[in-house]
Amino acid sequence: MQHINTEDLVDYMDGRVSAEKTLEVEDHLSRCKDCVELKSELELLVLRLQEDTTFEPPAELVQWGVSLFQPLLQPSTGGKLRKLIASLVFDTFDQPLLGGVRRVGAPPRQLLFRAGDVDVDVKIESMEANDRITLVGQVLSTTAKFFDNTPVKLESHGIVRYRTMTNLVGEFSFDEVPKDTYHLSVDLPEGQITLFCVHRGNS
Amino acid sequence: MSATKYKSFGDPELISLCLKGDPQAWETLILRYRRLIYSIPVRFSFSAADCSDVFQAVCLRLIEHLGELKDDTKVSSWLITTTTRQCIHVRTQKHRENSTDDEFDEPADPGHSVEEIRIQSQEQQRVREAVDQLSDRCKQLVEMLYFDHRNPSYEVIAQTMHMPVASVGPTRARCLEKLRTVLRRQGIH
Repeated sequence: MQHINTEDLVDYMDGRVSAEKTLEVEDHLSRCKDCVELKSELELLVLRLQEDTTFEPPAELVQWGVSLFQPLLQPSTGGKLRKLIASLVFDTFDQPLLGGVRRVGAPPRQLLFRAGDVDVDVKIESMEANDRITLVGQVLSTTAKFFDNTPVKLESHGIVRYRTMTNLVGEFSFDEVPKDTYHLSVDLPEGQITLFCVHRGNS
Repeated sequence: MSATKYKSFGDPELISLCLKGDPQAWETLILRYRRLIYSIPVRFSFSAADCSDVFQAVCLRLIEHLGELKDDTKVSSWLITTTTRQCIHVRTQKHRENSTDDEFDEPADPGHSVEEIRIQSQEQQRVREAVDQLSDRCKQLVEMLYFDHRNPSYEVIAQTMHMPVASVGPTRARCLEKLRTVLRRQGIH
């Protein structure tokens, strides 16, 4: 028995064959288990190929992922700021909720980032009513020193949106900023600390 | 984006270049696995915002764990595991935030579907890797036929690829055959 070739089968699946050819292919498929199997395999393969485009993340998200690497590249040069990546060492979002505890609205999110001997404590409170967040924090050193009068910036989509300075005890605050994903950076004399993803949109 | 020079590099080579501070190697890695990472929260039926959150969290974890992955040839498996865990975590967290006392003890994670998601993601990734193993010409044809959302006609494909329109069908059949062979070698039918 002469089997259907892949080209005819793929054209048939696409509806690109003549009525006469369609009948011929269908007649063969009704009698040939091998060709039915090949057709199913090709259909699944084509489906997987087509489906893949639905998993394409937004371009700006991919760009965000790519730009994550940039701070690693900044060489430590003379008077220029050195950039450091801070690791997230604690996040209440990662902690299980206590059994039986109920509350109205999302709880504030508490995060602790660490870069070298500097800790940055961040608390994000979400205001559902006006779709804004308040972000307060403190820059702390493992030594007893406070980082006062230190510039702190909130960036989103590559643009610095908000700036503030730390107070005498290293505290800073951004009140009622619109919900977004921000990079928070702290300019210290020994380098710039960039904290990623300080708001994930679900705090 | 300009990471084409590393496209043919394996994961261990890319990771080793990343660890030396090469941004293009990192870009190649992200571009290679962007769909794999994003597909998992999509399969969990997460909202676009949650899919983005998971994507960001996994990118961060990847950058943090590059050093541990440098000898690993299967970054994809690590990513599937990490992304799935992150999705389960987000789902459990949301479930617990929204649950009432009556449903408090209900498991947020029906394990069967999670396993299905893992298998589907793994198979989908193998299809991507198989497409990458095709010749440039086949790859270009497959990309135009199945990945291009503008659905170019045979005429446009023929013009772009400098081939007669009548050759598009037979070439497509040959490329799909090759793809099928690569996948069969990997145990995917």
